[in-house]
Amino acid sequence: MNTVDKLASLKDMISPGISACTGCNVELTLRTCMKVLGPDTIYAVPPGCMGGVGVVGWDTQSGSHIPVFFPLLDNVASMLAGIKLHYERIGRKVNVVAFAGDGATTDAGMQCLSGAAERGDKLIYICYDNEGYMNTGYQRSSATTKYSWTSTTPVSDAGSGGKRQHRKDFPMIMAMHDIPYMATCSPAFIPDMVAKLEKAMEASERGLAYLHVHNPCLTGWGIRPELSIEVSRLAVETNFFPLYEVIDGTFVINKEYKEAKPVEEYIKQMKKFRHLSAEEIADIQGFVDQKWNRLKQLAAL
Amino acid sequence: MELKSKYIVPVGADGIHILNTGDWRTQRPVLDETKCIRCGRCFLYCPVNSIRKTEKAFVISYDYCKGCGICAHECPKEAIEMVAEEEKACRN
Repeated sequence: MNTVDKLASLKDMISPGISACTGCNVELTLRTCMKVLGPDTIYAVPPGCMGGVGVVGWDTQSGSHIPVFFPLLDNVASMLAGIKLHYERIGRKVNVVAFAGDGATTDAGMQCLSGAAERGDKLIYICYDNEGYMNTGYQRSSATTKYSWTSTTPVSDAGSGGKRQHRKDFPMIMAMHDIPYMATCSPAFIPDMVAKLEKAMEASERGLAYLHVHNPCLTGWGIRPELSIEVSRLAVETNFFPLYEVIDGTFVINKEYKEAKPVEEYIKQMKKFRHLSAEEIADIQGFVDQKWNRLKQLAAL
Repeated sequence: MELKSKYIVPVGADGIHILNTGDWRTQRPVLDETKCIRCGRCFLYCPVNSIRKTEKAFVISYDYCKGCGICAHECPKEAIEMVAEEEKACRN
């Protein structure tokens, strides 16, 4: 069965009207993930974009057809670990899933996620990485790309400024926890994402499965709504965000291009990089190349 | 405090919180079925799940469509055109 037929046969678990921005690819990611994970799922959405748009509900109404929790920014994985233990104890098979932003994953929630990975808690942890605290007006996070304009790393009229540090390579950090399954996904490659979700469901019976989804933010980064998917695709095609998976310690690269596009093509698509000089673009290209080469070496092992 | 729901957390038993996002739309996607090759890309990429697959074709529902234009942009055959909403919904 192809992906279109499969997704068409599955029920949408999210409220049809949620207040995500027009064209938001995190909304697409959330709907696709929850369709595949199915009705036997309990999930938690910490504060962040998806927490704010109404999927966690309002008053006594819910935003989802499946149970959803609204934990704190920094205790998502440990709270879900307790829920999973309860269901293991009563002998019911459920997917216990986190759907957290990069702030709740790479910054505030990192220690409890790392702990859950080390203990082997049987969760599926999905991180939607939009490279910042977009829900509160784009403050920098440790996932933000170097030189990005953010509201806490401003840019002068002369064009100098932006974030000073390179981003944290969080998928690799999770892979090095030796969890059963780690994968990177992009909303521009839905069949790939669906396959990875199914693998994650299978792997979560043995330990923590981690999925890192790269979601360019339209309103925060300055991208026109209809280019939502195209920019996500460019991030993969330029090797800025390579798609790979780590299955029990073995690295597999899913999308490899004979000639990757220069990262400049991706950078030119958005306003947050409008001030970049040629040297700064070359610096990002160097960073991307270095990460890609290391990934190739790991996949050749 | 007396809970309105019998559950501690909302589970959708009292209804689903739905926002009328169709009101946001400034342009609507219109599908030309003669150009459509049924590849399903519009269906896969629609963030609001507003495109349904029927036995023969893909159908756009305007109930919650926010008018982002992803379907029109991603269509390989340019079968979807974005048309300006003539009458902006001003119900209030």
